[in-house]
Amino acid sequence: MLLVVDALNKHRFGAILDEMYQLRARVFQDRMGWDVNVHNGREIDLFDGLDPAYVITLNDSYGVTGCARLLQTTGPHMLSDVFFDILDGEPPLRSATVWESTRFCVDRQRLSGGHGKNTVSYTTSELMVGIMEYAKSAGIADIITVIDPLMDRILHRSDNAPYGYVGKTADMGKVKALAALIDCSDQRISKVRAFAGIDGDIFAPEEEVAAALAPTPDAAMNPELKTYMRDQITSAETERERAAAIALQNALSGAATSGSRAFDA
Amino acid sequence: MTPYTSLIDLAKTPKGQTDFVQQLSAVCDTLGLDYASYASTNPISGKVHAFTTYPDAWKEHYMGERFHLVDPTLKAASRSIAPVDWQRLRQDPGFQSVFHRARDFSLPQSGLTVPVRGPFGDTGLLSVTSDLTTPDWIKLKGQVIQQVQTLAVNLHDTVMHSERLSYLLGRATLSAREVEILQWIAAGKSQQDVADILSISVRTVEVHIRSSREKLCALTTAQAVGRAVSLGLITPG
Repeated sequence: MLLVVDALNKHRFGAILDEMYQLRARVFQDRMGWDVNVHNGREIDLFDGLDPAYVITLNDSYGVTGCARLLQTTGPHMLSDVFFDILDGEPPLRSATVWESTRFCVDRQRLSGGHGKNTVSYTTSELMVGIMEYAKSAGIADIITVIDPLMDRILHRSDNAPYGYVGKTADMGKVKALAALIDCSDQRISKVRAFAGIDGDIFAPEEEVAAALAPTPDAAMNPELKTYMRDQITSAETERERAAAIALQNALSGAATSGSRAFDA
Repeated sequence: MTPYTSLIDLAKTPKGQTDFVQQLSAVCDTLGLDYASYASTNPISGKVHAFTTYPDAWKEHYMGERFHLVDPTLKAASRSIAPVDWQRLRQDPGFQSVFHRARDFSLPQSGLTVPVRGPFGDTGLLSVTSDLTTPDWIKLKGQVIQQVQTLAVNLHDTVMHSERLSYLLGRATLSAREVEILQWIAAGKSQQDVADILSISVRTVEVHIRSSREKLCALTTAQAVGRAVSLGLITPG
């Protein structure tokens, strides 16, 4: 399943973003050897400060298995400001109906040896379909995505070959990177869905994920109070409100340490 | 981001009345929407531009109550990359204060705000509204959203370029590929011809033309070719 996290709802999903930054550190620094800034085991750059949207794949226990970061091409984005090498010094594409996708990755460790939905191939397709469907609903026609040659081969094998490339393949560290073009058309979406066997709505309701991330209250707690506390936590509008609601629940259930996960971010 | 402490109503400028408000009205007429508004901040000049097709009574009330300081369609929506359906802003504390009053003025409650990010940290917001029922609104939204995106960026770039400094900084920078493709189009080649000549897909040709068009602030390819010629980027076919 997928979740879209952006500036409007990120206060509810701090723990998920934190896991995503850790996945990015493992992939882009450890495995691909890109020159990225890793601090405290988390890879975060300037573009994360520009209110991007993240499309994130989650497994059945709401653990992060893959992610991508989306920015408009009309404003600051990586191809205009960082990936000069790929574009050979040329200015990037700029269009209201083209988004840029960067930091596209899936968790090969978590998914290796998995079955069904827990495979690299399924998760890659699911992430691509999620990006295309979210973008399409926003009126976006095409995605320009910065990927490595291995990901490019996976796309070709998944009936999702890019329809074109911009610039050239550039050295980024241990591996190369290139900018590929993907259209967000119904035709491509259904092809990739058919290839991977993806059915129905793949976006998880925000409420469901927020509720699942909230620490479980003490079993002995009064059911009405339990419901009340869960509502307080899931309807919090800021990280501070959420933390306060969790702290209150912990105080009431006498489990002062069980909520640590929510404070990670 | 610059707080919306003061707003410059472009509708009150001679150019604004004829160009910008008319452009918004045309957007509404073409797409079947009721009202449209635009607001932007320019971090270079520090100016906030705004104009709208809303009735004057609501404009005066809105400014008088300083709603622009709490209006979630300005504050929250500008931080999204996707257009924000106002349904998503209902939880925002500012929503009730603004929309409750808007109802008294018989203004539509359904709407969409398209955030635009420009290259210099400038942001623009195009909001459109409709008084359709929710299911009809969702249908209309799906039909027009791509056009609204393109129009929002075109409008934003036009407003930003109307300021001299931004105009100089923001001159279109076309890539060698974009110039090459536009030159072939100027020579009368079809997109399929150009794709064959350059051995790339038709969609790659199309996405480059779309990008050139928008960089040149043009809504049609013919207009883009004309502007590229006048800027000396290509030679007339």
